[in-house]
Amino acid sequence: MDQVLNMWKDWRLHILVFAIVIVTEFIGIHELKIGPGVILLLPMLYAVIIGIGLYFTPLVKEKQSINAEPLVFISVTLLVAKFGVQAGPALPQLIEAGWALVLQELGNLGTIFLALPVAIYLGLKRESIGMTHSIGREPNLALITDKYGLSSPEGRGVMAIYIFGTVFGSIFMGLASGLLATITPLHPYSFAMATGIGSGSMTAASLGPLVAAFPDKAEMITAFSGASNLLTSVTGLYASIFIGLPLTEKLYKVMTKRKKENPTNSTKVV
Amino acid sequence: MLKSVQEWVLLFIIIGFIIVIGNWIGYNVMPLDALPGIIVLIAISLAGLIIHRLIPYKKVPSIAYIGILAFVLTIPGVPGSQQLVSWTSEVNLLAIATPILAYAGISIGRSWTDFAKLGWKTVVIGMCVLLGTYLGSAVVAEIILRIQGII
Repeated sequence: MDQVLNMWKDWRLHILVFAIVIVTEFIGIHELKIGPGVILLLPMLYAVIIGIGLYFTPLVKEKQSINAEPLVFISVTLLVAKFGVQAGPALPQLIEAGWALVLQELGNLGTIFLALPVAIYLGLKRESIGMTHSIGREPNLALITDKYGLSSPEGRGVMAIYIFGTVFGSIFMGLASGLLATITPLHPYSFAMATGIGSGSMTAASLGPLVAAFPDKAEMITAFSGASNLLTSVTGLYASIFIGLPLTEKLYKVMTKRKKENPTNSTKVV
Repeated sequence: MLKSVQEWVLLFIIIGFIIVIGNWIGYNVMPLDALPGIIVLIAISLAGLIIHRLIPYKKVPSIAYIGILAFVLTIPGVPGSQQLVSWTSEVNLLAIATPILAYAGISIGRSWTDFAKLGWKTVVIGMCVLLGTYLGSAVVAEIILRIQGII
């Protein structure tokens, strides 16, 4: 943020974004029914896809794409402020739900339990530690680089997930969040607390469908999401350093050991 | 410092304008009705960015200051809190999210070639990574909220 100045003069960028917003807001919200579930197609989802598409047209030059990145950060601050002003009035409810808010932060470790076995099953070695110890955003990239180096297997792993999340994260969360909230028995408030992922655009993308699908609960959903987002932004990195990464290392050792023993076991059985 | 503040203000004016128009098209809020709300959000964001810049301890991210400031100002009983809440309620959350993701899309384009080089295994694992954190948190929250009898 410090060095990049005069981004406001990049009129090409701002006019493109303005045009995207006008077009996507006119298209509006659409629903896609999949069995009992609903995928909500929101303007923000079209916006990210159109944005990626525009990059490959002569309308967007390298300069616009570079300037767009700090602008994501600047505009996310407005979203965070919006979170805050929704959370303030809900203070009594937030206190009431305080334990759920704090403990669901540990749920972020679910990444390790779901993704690490998959990665090992797919035959990945130490890359899997970098890939699955967290959702692999900027702070985690820094953590892994610091500990193993970026050219280590762990570093390659976290880099791959970082790139995946950057390009596909908001699209995937935007599609998955509404669907999960409509097909699972979990309460929208629980999903609202889960949207504090540690990435501004992914939080926006996963919160949007919840707010649109449950308009009567929108205020509490936003308040819970905002509180969880704030907690994750402050505690997320420490959770990775002290719990996530050591836990991944340990599980990796246990699971790769068992995998080595498994073939002999299975031949015995057969 | 002054230069950054000036830059931030100009950027907020541009983004605020885009949000207000999107808010009008998508959510039928007249721009004049949304104006006080967007100004409040901008002022809070700006204050948070400035506080972050002034405090030498950088481990706390600027969005934490912004979130806390917005939160504290709107706690019931704080002078003016009701006014702030009613103004900002005119600015739809989804209207703020759309330009964010439009900027994100344009910025993402640059990573596309790297993305295309990733193998299918990375894509599968990546989806598990995102689902794991989302479902993990949701399940823990669900359990505690049910124990507490809130839902």
